[in-house]
Amino acid sequence: MSHEPFETLAAVYAAGALDGDDLVQFEAHLPGCAECQAAVREAQDTLARAMLSARPQTPLPAVREALVRRVERTRGAGRRAWLTWAAATAVVAAVAAGFTATWVAVRYEARLGQMARETAAVKERLTRNEAALQEQVALYRGAVELLRDPATRVVDLRGQGTAASASGRMIWNDAGGGHLFVAGLPPAPAGKTYALWTISGGTPRAAGLFGVDASGRSAHRIAPEVARGAVGVFAVTLEPEGGTPAPTGPIVLASK
Amino acid sequence: MGTPGGDLIRVMAAGDRDAFARFYDRYAPFVFPFVLRIVRDRADAADVLQDVFWEAWRGAAAYDSARGTPEAWIITRARTRAIDRVRAVRRRGETFVAAVDEATVGAPTPPGGDAAVRAEERQLVASALAQLSEAQREIIELAYYSGLTQREIAERLAQPLGTVKTRIRLALARLREAVTPT
Ligand SMILES: [Zn+2]
Repeated sequence: MSHEPFETLAAVYAAGALDGDDLVQFEAHLPGCAECQAAVREAQDTLARAMLSARPQTPLPAVREALVRRVERTRGAGRRAWLTWAAATAVVAAVAAGFTATWVAVRYEARLGQMARETAAVKERLTRNEAALQEQVALYRGAVELLRDPATRVVDLRGQGTAASASGRMIWNDAGGGHLFVAGLPPAPAGKTYALWTISGGTPRAAGLFGVDASGRSAHRIAPEVARGAVGVFAVTLEPEGGTPAPTGPIVLASK
Repeated sequence: MGTPGGDLIRVMAAGDRDAFARFYDRYAPFVFPFVLRIVRDRADAADVLQDVFWEAWRGAAAYDSARGTPEAWIITRARTRAIDRVRAVRRRGETFVAAVDEATVGAPTPPGGDAAVRAEERQLVASALAQLSEAQREIIELAYYSGLTQREIAERLAQPLGTVKTRIRLALARLREAVTPT
């Protein structure tokens, strides 16, 4: 395994056909990978040049005329709007001069305070989203790093029982731990959580607890310390919050 | 010709109406058949074309040559708008589909019939696609013209998802050779 899978995803992405987990994974990878950015750019240019190779057909002149009129109108409207604004400002300035400076100051300070609060709220939202995004990017980077090791295995997990439509993928290295990506799992009921188990020689060993987001996805990192010895099977069960030393709940995902 | 497309966009961004007219004259005759191939209706195609070039005028300042060629810039936009249009028409149409089906059952075939329609469609298909195999052309058409995602294509062709992805990649590689001047 290598960077190669991303090269395929880049082509599918450029063709506008990437979906599901592949899309999430690729969009997390793309911002940090100059190679994939170049591949997408090149594929989009190829498609554009291919599409432009059809026999040219001049559209109805009415389309061109309508556009040219529209373009001219915006510029005209823009100038008119500016004149109106300038005139209004002049009036406001004249009127404001008649009021006391204090009245104006109070009014504007209130407005400025509101704007500052709004700006702060937007900034905070942005920072929070950015942090989440960076966390996601770091996670995918970790998975890619792991995939560079030839000893790393990719194991598919299938949904079981009531979670039959769920799916999972484990990127696992017996020495380096792993990354579990899950999709289509319903959020755990109140007081419950999902638990991952690594099973070797018939003995399950706890490999961490995780939840899923509103869309049923999760990405869970398994620390290298947890990976001790060769793992045969991976399974996910539904357990009481806080976890249990051995699996007790129903299996929702399992590898063969 | 003369001025490269990227330079035209930069002049357009500065508000030059003449540059916009030149940009339109250069690209519209190629963008139009592409849009028409997706929406399959001349009136709809004319509407989409107008939206696409209007957006190009408004968005010219945001064009960044490092992120793509002018051709990719205008075609990617045209594809998005055309597919949006098809989806909107389909949504609108679903309500009427039953009634229309009933009304057209038994209607006589127009003169020239399917053969004439097929001949026109062939003209709209990009000639670079002719250099692909039948299967490669099909997959590019499903993804790029019909706007299906990899899963939808896999379902449509009854093929594994992995195969679909690989086929898209190979078709694009072949297409790249087809558009690269030798
Ligand atoms: Zn990459």
